[in-house]
Amino acid sequence: MKFKEIAFRESNSKRIYRDYIARIQQAIKTLNAANQQEILLEINSHIYESLMSNPDSGREEVAHLLDILEKLGQPEVFLKPLVAEKKLDEATRTFNPFQVIKALVLNIGNGISYIIFAVLYLLLFGFLFLIGAKLIDPENVGFFYRANDIFILGYYRSYGVTHLEYEKLGNWFIPVMLVLTVLFYFMITLLLRLKRTLKS
Amino acid sequence: MNEDFTTKWISQLKKGTLSFLVLSILKDGKEYYGYDLINEIKKRTQIDIAEGTLYPLMNRLKKEELVASKWVEQESGIPRKYYTISTLGLHTVNEMKTYWDSLNTTINAI
Repeated sequence: MKFKEIAFRESNSKRIYRDYIARIQQAIKTLNAANQQEILLEINSHIYESLMSNPDSGREEVAHLLDILEKLGQPEVFLKPLVAEKKLDEATRTFNPFQVIKALVLNIGNGISYIIFAVLYLLLFGFLFLIGAKLIDPENVGFFYRANDIFILGYYRSYGVTHLEYEKLGNWFIPVMLVLTVLFYFMITLLLRLKRTLKS
Repeated sequence: MNEDFTTKWISQLKKGTLSFLVLSILKDGKEYYGYDLINEIKKRTQIDIAEGTLYPLMNRLKKEELVASKWVEQESGIPRKYYTISTLGLHTVNEMKTYWDSLNTTINAI
């Protein structure tokens, strides 16, 4: 199914219409092509049907179109929940980290659980960051542990004092961080998917 | 009277009952496209909804499998997306109606 522009008699109507369509496209551009098409076609159909079912009895075409668009509302506002929901669907299907981050940002206002997911994501990037840090400063980055005293995953050096003797992972630090990253990644995505399934 | 509070309350109430309204209209089995559905809501309830808000709602109802949709090509070249209620949707709207009626009775008794 293809998007077809509505034909207008007046050039000003056409300008207003095209501007509105551009705003819709802008509001939904984060979604995949199929979802973008679906939304655009449906809103376009709404505009067309409104124009047809309510013939402008003596009214100017521009005024009629403006009325319709005003009743429909600002696309950036009314499409927001739709975009957030569809984005989350797309993201949990793909396992693509950038998609998941985008979806989480769009849904952050939709409840505490998404904030928790975002924090989990932050931890995941923390593990990745530590791999880089370990390569740069192998001595002071690690997993330092002594029962009831020291529990540090990251960087430690204070006034020249290091905790080198308590570092537990040694050469295993980078592999363990990698495994944690992958584990967290799959866990977050699967939990998100589970949350979606439970909701529906 | 605290008009601000009442206005907010009315708007929340409208928002909360929109899904019930939509499902109730679809209940008789007829197919509706978005604009048509909005007109039907206006005709039957005199409730003026922000028209754009219908589309996120329809998406949610579809996701919850309460309604199904299909695109139908039109001579104009601008297709319509028709919605119909599902069996699950019918069960759900009947449950909603039962709750609504009991709520109504309770409120009227106060």
